[in-house]
Amino acid sequence: MIAHLSAEQLAECILGQPDAEVARHVEHCSPCRAELMQFREALGEFRGAVRGWSEEQASAVLADAAAVPEPRSFRASHQLAWALLIAAVFFIASFIAPGRWGGNAGGSAGGSAGYRAGNDALLLNQVDAQVSRTAPSSMEPLMKLVVEKQ
Amino acid sequence: MQLLATSELESAIPADVASLAGDFEALVRLYRPQVFRFALASLRDTDAAETVTQDCFLRAYQARHRFRQDCSLRTWLIQIAVNLIRDRMRSRRLQFWRRASLRCLPVDVVRSTIADGARSPETQALLQQQVAAIWNAAECLPQKQRTVFLLRFVEDMDLLEIAAATGMKEGTVKSHLSRALRAVRERIGELT
Repeated sequence: MIAHLSAEQLAECILGQPDAEVARHVEHCSPCRAELMQFREALGEFRGAVRGWSEEQASAVLADAAAVPEPRSFRASHQLAWALLIAAVFFIASFIAPGRWGGNAGGSAGGSAGYRAGNDALLLNQVDAQVSRTAPSSMEPLMKLVVEKQ
Repeated sequence: MQLLATSELESAIPADVASLAGDFEALVRLYRPQVFRFALASLRDTDAAETVTQDCFLRAYQARHRFRQDCSLRTWLIQIAVNLIRDRMRSRRLQFWRRASLRCLPVDVVRSTIADGARSPETQALLQQQVAAIWNAAECLPQKQRTVFLLRFVEDMDLLEIAAATGMKEGTVKSHLSRALRAVRERIGELT
């Protein structure tokens, strides 16, 4: 008859493979039986705790995955980029334009205004000439031929 | 997404390799929690466990034609996970991060698991301490001992399944388990 279970024998019992003598001892020795039961219970609780923790972590992982916003479509990103680019151009132009045309307004305001008026008149004349043509410029040589024949 | 009961999922698992590819999604749904749990208990890092789980199923999918059915699908997947975890643990770089991100088993989880009206508060407190001691002892075990310990006492695998998953002989598994249990018992004994 063995005195009490050694660590190795206790491990055999936990693994469910005790030899006959160890099994008999456990049956008759209440301290060893109590120790064995307590160890089994602690291992069972350990399993439960690890499983509970794992489920908690798995839920957190799934929640994180669900919270990630869907990536924008390429088309939407493209449109947004164009909108931003156009806005940036207007923004920059709003700073540059007054400096270029109105920056020297104090010094030669009269000369500048006259220069601009002259340019405008020239442009209007060109437009008028184009609009009042009876035929497009590329057709004008043909029109001359027609006039000469008449 | 509609969640299926485990029995429904198990019936959806393919019986042969040919249909493994088609029903792979069902296989992932059924075994993902187990693989993740084992990876988490081994690595104690949620992100690393998630990565290992994804890698595990990716490799399983890529190697589905090599599954010889000489073990269960669960054992096969755990075998892949064991290898991935071992590789990860070997990485020196990861060792640093693993140490940095070591986590204790959250006290509230242990408490809620152990909470039982039939037990006295003293018994519950003692059990909490014992569970924490087992958790700490498992961390200090050599890798092979820890792997077999977690497979046996968290995943409920028998010796033959553990032997198949780890590539060890049954006697070797038993020997590692016996040593692991002694170390764990010593740690619990320190409490009294």
